[in-house]
Amino acid sequence: MEKIIECEHVSKVFGDLVVLKDISFSVEKGETVCLIGPSGSGKSTMLRCLNKLEEIQKGEIKVNGLDVKSVKNVNTYRSNIGMVFQHFNLFPNYTVIENMTLAPRTLKKLSKKEAIKKAEELLERVGLSDKRDVYPATLSGGQKQRVAIARALEMNPSILLFDEPTSALDPEMVGEVLDVMKSLAKEGMTMVVVTHEMGFARDVANRILFMDDGYIVEEAPPLEMFQNPKTDRCKKFLSNFI
Amino acid sequence: MIEYLNLFWKYLPMLLNGLKLTLLIALLGISIAIILGIFLCVLSISKNKILEKIASTYITIVRGIPLMILALFLYFGVIKNSMSTNSAAIIILAINASAYMAEIFRAGVQAIDIGQTEAARSLGLSYFQTMRKVIFPQAVKIMIPSLMNQSISSLKDTAILSAITVNELTLTSKVIIARNYRAFELYSYAAIIYLIVIIFLTYLSKRVESKLNYTQR
Repeated sequence: MEKIIECEHVSKVFGDLVVLKDISFSVEKGETVCLIGPSGSGKSTMLRCLNKLEEIQKGEIKVNGLDVKSVKNVNTYRSNIGMVFQHFNLFPNYTVIENMTLAPRTLKKLSKKEAIKKAEELLERVGLSDKRDVYPATLSGGQKQRVAIARALEMNPSILLFDEPTSALDPEMVGEVLDVMKSLAKEGMTMVVVTHEMGFARDVANRILFMDDGYIVEEAPPLEMFQNPKTDRCKKFLSNFI
Repeated sequence: MIEYLNLFWKYLPMLLNGLKLTLLIALLGISIAIILGIFLCVLSISKNKILEKIASTYITIVRGIPLMILALFLYFGVIKNSMSTNSAAIIILAINASAYMAEIFRAGVQAIDIGQTEAARSLGLSYFQTMRKVIFPQAVKIMIPSLMNQSISSLKDTAILSAITVNELTLTSKVIIARNYRAFELYSYAAIIYLIVIIFLTYLSKRVESKLNYTQR
């Protein structure tokens, strides 16, 4: 299989704090990989390094075969990697459809007509066609996150990154967001998901990476990880969810 | 009372002429201050330490000097006869207000959640596209009350410019008083005129604010 993300010996520091220590992993095309682990273990930072929201100090990250350090135009690079945030980060000054068409139109990736047509298709897909012209403030958390996913898809990314996409949602709304993500996984979208949703990780992920204190402590397919964790640290962490 | 009103009607045309200059200087001075303020704000939020220092030094100096001293120093000490009094007045007002404007813009931009920038940048927008399309439109909404405050303040500050012989509303009143000694009447007329203009401006800003209120829709 084609490797779409390759990380080798990545390390990252914030001042004196070493957040990532010698991280190596890869993601194949069409795979869904979940990053789990306690808060402060470096999951989100790892994710943010992948689209250069953070710079790494040591090691190498290759995305689609390209070393991120050699990226000349960071904007073009990022437009190919979708990112979905914990707090949705929809633009409150634009309507739903404007949120979705802003980037492709500003970057002249699509014409106005094409952008709107595509956005309408995506809205239908996430079940929010009727919310086309409302402002984000009127949406529920789950609806906001579905719009955020649609907004990321509008750019036709080769990878989608999710940074705790359901952590800010109340339990009733988690399902609708996970359903959208599941259907994306099924269609072969390459996804890296930082999550605390163990059910989702178990059902959807091809592989799970367990991170703690800046290291990948354990890496395994979901069944193996949940039924038979090798390290004590992972065992202890997972015991909280059973 | 009738005499008070008669005097008012008599001097109203002169006072309105003064008001015209007051408004002209305020309008141009504030407009230039806004442009300068945006420029200074861009410097002060840039990651370049030197640019940041330049902006913060300018702001510290201008905010630390009373407008009266700034006006007297620049007009009599630096500008002298090299330009008209009115142009000098506009420049002095602009310099003074720009420091405050810069801080209002900086606070407004920094009040917007960093997640907005991250979302826009992760979609592939450049720094300036992000500022222009995402951050600034939201920041303006937050800034309007402070901008309006500063504009009102600057409008009133034009009275200080009477010290450098700008023939605006305050100096016009003074000149009339020098002729007829009616200090109570003339200063109260000036006060009323300033007040009416500012009440009108406040009303306008409230309208703009409610128009921009997209979170309520």
